[in-house]
Amino acid sequence: MARPLRAMLEHMRGQSEQQFELGGNNSFFVPPVVAAAHELKSPRVLVRQLALALEDVTLSAVEREELLTQIRLTSERALRLTADLTRAARLEDALFELEPINPRQLCDDIVSELMPLFRAHGRTIRVSGRRRAPLPVGNRDLLRRIVMNFSDNALKYSDVSGAIELNVQAREKGNTIRVGVRDYGPALPADVWRSLEEKLMHAPQTIHARPESSGLGLYIAAAFAMAMNGTIGAIRHRDGATFYVDLQASRQLSLL
Amino acid sequence: MSRVLIIEDDEWLAGQHTRSLTREHYDVRVVSNALDAVVAVDEFQPDALLMDVLLPGSTAFALLSELKSYSDTAELPVVLCTNIAEDVSLENVQAYGVKRILDKTTMHPSDVPAAIRSVL
Repeated sequence: MARPLRAMLEHMRGQSEQQFELGGNNSFFVPPVVAAAHELKSPRVLVRQLALALEDVTLSAVEREELLTQIRLTSERALRLTADLTRAARLEDALFELEPINPRQLCDDIVSELMPLFRAHGRTIRVSGRRRAPLPVGNRDLLRRIVMNFSDNALKYSDVSGAIELNVQAREKGNTIRVGVRDYGPALPADVWRSLEEKLMHAPQTIHARPESSGLGLYIAAAFAMAMNGTIGAIRHRDGATFYVDLQASRQLSLL
Repeated sequence: MSRVLIIEDDEWLAGQHTRSLTREHYDVRVVSNALDAVVAVDEFQPDALLMDVLLPGSTAFALLSELKSYSDTAELPVVLCTNIAEDVSLENVQAYGVKRILDKTTMHPSDVPAAIRSVL
């Protein structure tokens, strides 16, 4: 049976790439409590359900171990978001050291850190592209948080079959360094995509960038990027999306 | 054996629902988005849907509107299982075929088969 919804969704998957960017001269923000509460609800709900499942006396040792791993990994995701919220709320008062960062090393470290989570979901995450990537100027902690945030997002939206890829590339004749996270999954509806930029420019919404997300994670990432004079953006592919952060390239080599 | 299609994008939560339902001898299939759900409804021909409201690429209500427009799926009973139960009233969603709403923040795993049993 050919159903219109299927045709519509398949059409959306077939559409060409679209892109938007956030950042630049926008002021910092304090994440709204409602959006933060909404975003933190999902992992806590999951932890509760997994904990309740542990009450089942018929579980095997393997099943019990699997549940405990899921509880630990879900708690860690929630803790990451909590830490990001705290960091974002303090951005205006903070002093950041901006320095050349090895983005490839950073991506390798993130892949190592997230691999257990991705493995537990039956996914893979890897770094693609040049071994010796050009260096952006930024704050290592903030850039790490942005890429972790994008990776968490990619995990949520990717298909089981597709690996999530972190990549680094020089753009604009080497003046800008882009660190991107590519996922492979359902395409965003066109109308949702069109409204995403506007929504994120104002405040996290309880209804949604990608439907079940408040957009809070992206909003935090935009704030972190702005603190480094950078921008975040997204490219909508026919089979997923790339979320990226653009930072100024280091000029240290030109001084030699 | 009754068939239940679970539409839930959190695979670990979907795993819990599956465990609860298979223990009660339901035949279960899981999908994570609306597009796959449409395909699964055709192929699996479920007797009931257990679904989240907020799904990747669409919402439950876009999917349910679609299913309501076909005679073979219009009467499919639906149980919503959601984080935003406080924002969804049964009265407002009954037109979509929703018979029960489970609140993920307060429910127990055993509530899932009980809810499905009550709508079949």
